[in-house]
Amino acid sequence: MTDTTAASLAAPAADKPAAGRPRRNLIALVLFLAAIFLVPVAIGDQFVYHVFITICLFAGLSTAWNIVGGFAGQLSLGHAIFYGIGAYAGIILMNMGISPWIGMFAGAAVAVVAAIVISYPCFRLKGPFFALATIAFLEVFRVLALHFSGLTGGATGLMIPLKLGWEWMVFRERLPALVIVYGMMLVSLAAAWWIRSHRLGFYLVATRERESAAQAAGVSTVKVRLIAVSVSAALCAMFGTFHAMYLTFIEPAAMFSLTTSIQIAMFALIGGIGTVFGPLIGAVFLVPVSELARGWLGAHALGLHGFVYGIVLVLVVLFMPNGLMGAMKRMFGKAEPERGVQAASVAATPRASERPAIGHEIMVADHLDKHFGGLHVTNDVSFSLKEGEILALIGPNGAGKTTVFNMLSGFLTPDSGGVKVRDAAGNFVSPTTPGDFAAIGVGRTFQIVQPFAAMTVEENIMVGAFHRFHDVGDAREAARETAHRMGLGPWLNAEARGLTIGGLKRLEVARVMAMQPRILLLDEVMAGINQTDVRRAIDLMLSIRDTGVSIIAIEHVMQAVMSLSDRVIVLNSGQIIAEGKPQDVVRDPTVIEAYLGKEFTHAHA
Amino acid sequence: MLTLENIHAGYGATTILQDVSLHVTAGEVVTIVGANGAGKTTTLRTIAGLIRPSSGKITFEGEDITKLSAHETVELGVTLIPEGRQLFSDMTVLENLLMGSYRKAARAAQHDTLDYVLSLFPRVKERLAQNAGSLSGGEQQMVAIARGMMAKPKLLMFDEPSLGLAPIIVQQVFEVIDTIVKTGATVLIVEQNVFHTLKAADRGYVLENGEIVLTDDAEALLSNDHVRQAYLGI
Amino acid sequence: METFLQVLANGLMLGALFAIVSIGLTLIFGIVKVVNFAHGEFLMIGMYLTFVVTGWLGIHPLYTIVIVAPLLFLAGAATQRFIIQPLMSARDDHIQIFATVGLSTALINLALLIFGADIANTPSGGLRTPVEIGPVRVLSGQLFILIAAIALVIGLRLFLQKTQTGRAIRAVAQNRAAAQLMGINVNRIYVLTFGIGAACVGLAATLIAPLYPTSPNIGTYFVLTAFVVVVLGGLGSIGGAFVGAMVIGLIDSFSGFYIGSDLREVAVFGVFLLILILKPSGLFGKSLNLSHVSP
Repeated sequence: MTDTTAASLAAPAADKPAAGRPRRNLIALVLFLAAIFLVPVAIGDQFVYHVFITICLFAGLSTAWNIVGGFAGQLSLGHAIFYGIGAYAGIILMNMGISPWIGMFAGAAVAVVAAIVISYPCFRLKGPFFALATIAFLEVFRVLALHFSGLTGGATGLMIPLKLGWEWMVFRERLPALVIVYGMMLVSLAAAWWIRSHRLGFYLVATRERESAAQAAGVSTVKVRLIAVSVSAALCAMFGTFHAMYLTFIEPAAMFSLTTSIQIAMFALIGGIGTVFGPLIGAVFLVPVSELARGWLGAHALGLHGFVYGIVLVLVVLFMPNGLMGAMKRMFGKAEPERGVQAASVAATPRASERPAIGHEIMVADHLDKHFGGLHVTNDVSFSLKEGEILALIGPNGAGKTTVFNMLSGFLTPDSGGVKVRDAAGNFVSPTTPGDFAAIGVGRTFQIVQPFAAMTVEENIMVGAFHRFHDVGDAREAARETAHRMGLGPWLNAEARGLTIGGLKRLEVARVMAMQPRILLLDEVMAGINQTDVRRAIDLMLSIRDTGVSIIAIEHVMQAVMSLSDRVIVLNSGQIIAEGKPQDVVRDPTVIEAYLGKEFTHAHA
Repeated sequence: MLTLENIHAGYGATTILQDVSLHVTAGEVVTIVGANGAGKTTTLRTIAGLIRPSSGKITFEGEDITKLSAHETVELGVTLIPEGRQLFSDMTVLENLLMGSYRKAARAAQHDTLDYVLSLFPRVKERLAQNAGSLSGGEQQMVAIARGMMAKPKLLMFDEPSLGLAPIIVQQVFEVIDTIVKTGATVLIVEQNVFHTLKAADRGYVLENGEIVLTDDAEALLSNDHVRQAYLGI
Repeated sequence: METFLQVLANGLMLGALFAIVSIGLTLIFGIVKVVNFAHGEFLMIGMYLTFVVTGWLGIHPLYTIVIVAPLLFLAGAATQRFIIQPLMSARDDHIQIFATVGLSTALINLALLIFGADIANTPSGGLRTPVEIGPVRVLSGQLFILIAAIALVIGLRLFLQKTQTGRAIRAVAQNRAAAQLMGINVNRIYVLTFGIGAACVGLAATLIAPLYPTSPNIGTYFVLTAFVVVVLGGLGSIGGAFVGAMVIGLIDSFSGFYIGSDLREVAVFGVFLLILILKPSGLFGKSLNLSHVSP
């Protein structure tokens, strides 16, 4: 959905290899922002003022939208709701003699409540469905605003009372309005920048890229998105209040309009969706075009500027899907990191001299039953994992191994039975959600790798590291350490989507290792890596075990199963058919029948 | 009949196949052996035209098919029976089979082919009117193979035909494949059950991390130390 | 009682109207898997075409179907080929959404540019004549719409079930990759389907134009309801869209009469939001993966 321009702009400058670039970027940014204020002041023309006020307004709105639509990837086409709420709150309170400076915050508060009520049930809707739902909510708000005419003035609209001055945010001149909206735009940009460069931003992007992987990394995906939507709605409402004062007249069709919603989203798209400064750039380029077209062409050719708008949008989508920021990055940015040298292996791990003794039970699966439709996927599966133990889970494809993992990590709720985990204090608890499991120290990987594709390798691992660290710097340091340990050092700044399957498997493990879990669930991490690496990975896992971590591994690579595991459980058609020491299990006739095959035995003989 | 020369291919920016070269002669049964994720499925998908190689050349019966789309490759007589069955689950078994002979060269003889295929798969015949989605995994795999046969392909490619099936069903699937092999069909097969496949095949390739590391007669591979250690778990 | 029956009849007529607009949308939605935000504008174009052709040739508006439907087929096919197809491999839905939103904006304003903001009235051709059926009165044009909607549902069903092309369309919708492996040119199927979906809305336009004044924004008015209908009926389900349209027509009619005409939309969109949130597969849909078209 995005590119990492935001990250490179937002990342602390000192860490980057070329320290000169970020500084130049920063100077360019400051000059650019200053120009937005100084150009209209220098020219002093009413129309120019108006254009720049509109630029600031839409840049601010669009930047706020981008927190939800870009960072969190929730394509809202209903953001005019919040803008409209702010506008109405401002004027209604002003009519009651309350300054819009207060009305602004009242509107923001109402908008936050509305945003939470609207968003919460909509989060499970994806892509176009989320967009459709937001449009429907927008229509409902518009119709209600028309209906409750006692409050809103209905279709006749609301006029502001004629009170001038800073107290009332209404001026004869344009300069004070520019000062206010420029300041608000800076606030909006600062909010977006802050979010993108802190843990919250990483969590939002991770949630957007792979919700389940984010949950497994301990991200409360609902909470972070609610925070994002609240910030976004509050900012939009404040711009709404300002704009109502600037327009002096509002009515439902203009305030709760789909066109406005689309425009807000469009500036972000054209500038560069998901980047911090993309919406600003989109607004700076497009607002003057549109305002000039409206001014010059509007009178002669009704609809021409809208037509141009639509065509531009289609062309941008077709030819510049990453927006102006993406195009600029391509032009000025450095070349993509070199690929092809994928074979760097897992670093050899020095083994601790002694492994801690296997302790008491740390995780208990109790009579797990799960049906999918008519299929009995797991049938009364019970086992336990002991502290410091490595337990291998083997069985044919479709035996229910991954389903068991999903129940052991909160991604599936068993139809009956349950999972108990001993927490750090020694008490058994029954976590239910992925978040609960992560919080208690259960980390997992996914059989089908789930990278945050648009994030770099380092950022991917940082999402795991944030489980332990609030601070970006600490998380980055921990992520780098883990990356080097996993042999991912050379690709720290490469986007995850560029890695090979082997690399992605390692990244999967690195992300969960960065969480420092007490219990590690590994789903076929050895698949597709070569022999030398299997041996190294075995050593790595043994060294992890030696630090006291308990491991359950689903594995088909029998070499790893034999040399790693203390105990093996064999699952077939949803049932445990054998359990015991690896040497014994591979001789078990039922296991040979169901999984290893007669050929395996023949070949052994 | 089929040759791949120095093929590099992958998904998006991810390169999976590195410099893969292989060939299949008419009437031959060839297998590709490798770990999960080594690139076996990618190889078959690249031949089928579902993935366009970034470099290299693929020819089929002397014709360059490197840049052809999947539907064009099918027209030439290359049929892939994909991993995980991939039936049209809301269509009946009969409709699935009829879709199998969508290929122009097969369409005219559709009904004769249907009779022939159903004679090979008596179990499928009993299920013709049922929705494909309502069948068991084993039956679905049979329909998938039958659907592949409906195209009257010159080269038949199997991708993990025993994936996710109970061992007893796996046995049946292999019996069916053996039957097809006996008709003299040209087959390229990828299968996790390395032992069985190598026994049925004439030749094999070993694919690791997207590169062919070994190729030999099937029998020789079965007694090769590396193959035994890495893929037969010995 | 008579009032009730009249409100009921109005609801069904409105339902038929929504149905005929929505069928093309659900076809495109279910098979190409693209939410066509410009669908309403196809309707608008169709209505203007009906208006213009009727004026030029001086023929009955219904006869314009032979010109309007093929033209819209071309418009739909071109949209798929030149705007959607290059974006089919895009990583995110939002790219396609913005593309059709952009197309919608461009078309509305193009109409504004050509025809101005004033409404255009297509001659009614006698289609606004009231017809009495028992105690209720409806317009003859409304009856035509109902008949056409039913015929369209049956026709598309037969096409999708019985013809080789129809089967290929369903195969592509159910499993795109497998369809390719059968030798189906998936891109061509998408172009064809988008064309058929647009032609359906062309048919709708010739029937609606004699009854409703045409304006650049008329599409927006219909399309939001059409989305409601499509979601309610289960994506890609043509029969579902018909039933869904009837349900929405009745809700609209009854809430308009018994609650208040200005709150009709709240009722309709309220139902929409409830369905979307509680049962996103729609009342008659089977699953959320949108991977099937049940004709």
